Amino acid sequence: MRRAVLAFGSTVAGLILLLSFRSHTATPASAGVSAAGTSSKSSAGAAGNGSSGGSGGGSMAGSAAPSASPSAAGGATGGTTAGGKVVTGEVVNGPYGPSQVAITLSGGKITKVTVLQHTDDGENSQQIDGNALPKLTAETLTAQSAKIDAVSGASYTSAGYIKSLQSALDKA
Amino acid sequence: MAAGPRLRHAEPVMGTVFSFDVPAAAAPVLPAVLRWLHWVDTTFSTYREDSDVSRFGRGEAGLADCAPELAEVIAQCAVLSELSGGYFTDRPAGRFDPSGFVKGWSIEHAAAMLTAVGHPSVSVNGAGDVQCAGEPEPGRPWRIGIADPLRPGTLAAVVAGRDFAVATSGTAERGAHIINPHTGRPAAGLASVTVTGPRVTSADAYATAAFAMGPAAREWVETLDGYEAFAVAPDGTRWQTSGFAAYAAS
Repeated sequence: MRRAVLAFGSTVAGLILLLSFRSHTATPASAGVSAAGTSSKSSAGAAGNGSSGGSGGGSMAGSAAPSASPSAAGGATGGTTAGGKVVTGEVVNGPYGPSQVAITLSGGKITKVTVLQHTDDGENSQQIDGNALPKLTAETLTAQSAKIDAVSGASYTSAGYIKSLQSALDKA
Repeated sequence: MAAGPRLRHAEPVMGTVFSFDVPAAAAPVLPAVLRWLHWVDTTFSTYREDSDVSRFGRGEAGLADCAPELAEVIAQCAVLSELSGGYFTDRPAGRFDPSGFVKGWSIEHAAAMLTAVGHPSVSVNGAGDVQCAGEPEPGRPWRIGIADPLRPGTLAAVVAGRDFAVATSGTAERGAHIINPHTGRPAAGLASVTVTGPRVTSADAYATAAFAMGPAAREWVETLDGYEAFAVAPDGTRWQTSGFAAYAAS
């Protein structure tokens, strides 16, 4: 089963997104989405590398935040709002402090990503509020609902392949 | 027919990685396919001094001294060059280099080696160009994401099909620009162009030519029967040919 993992650090540089490919059926409880550092074999081959390679949330290099505690998906709590079911992720301890997100699921798809807490680390926090979150939400919607088998484009060298979406598909 | 288990394999070759998504039952056949790809690398690589392509390019070997496939490759490149008004060429910057053709050709042949021995559900992705056959599981088509060249890690579009190919050319390739053969300068009109159609050999060459053409590619691909295009411009705007919607998946 391919699982989607969202792990948020508390800085823009710490925002890392692991994607779900062909995730299973659309019941929110089993969507396998947990907003914390769930250990997952879908990590795209850069595990152990603490750098995120992220700028403005645009990177999907996919290594879990170094201090994220691996936790079972069942640790998430949830509730229902008019817009769908809200799944609250575990608190992730990033380099600057704790972060936590909640995801709103509707019909098995992520419709909203809400940051519940992130540590204010000065100038970066504004980026998180203003720019990175809307961008991140859009990226989440694009990739999570895609359920693709392969990726065309971004032709790569063997080294570039490691960080590619195709690599994540091949490993998952 | 029940869906059998799948096998995914990533093979570093030709300076890139070929990804396979095949039935697990195809595992005994895969090594022969991989050996053939490595043979293509040895024979056609412009990075190997002793490859047939390099020796032929330097004039040290004639066609008769080289693998017979080289003559076939050169012949097909000539057809494509004619078809694309010279925007596809096996002599980019004046040097013999059929790599733009060889990549797609080897992907298509690798997939055919598997389907020919009775494995109808196959996807081969060579450096971002994909040949698909059959269905990944009964009742649904292959879904291929098109990478967004301006936002690495995200998708610009998703296409779906059964026996079809998806090939993308863009500035993300190998860190080197595709040269416009007519100006000698890097092609800059598009960030990426994706071509879909039945065969990846053609789709790959068409995507390469289209990228070199820039915005003019849209009109050109409309003339190619059975092939459609989707492109991302450097400012993020997109266009697509009139038949592309048939491939687009939500």
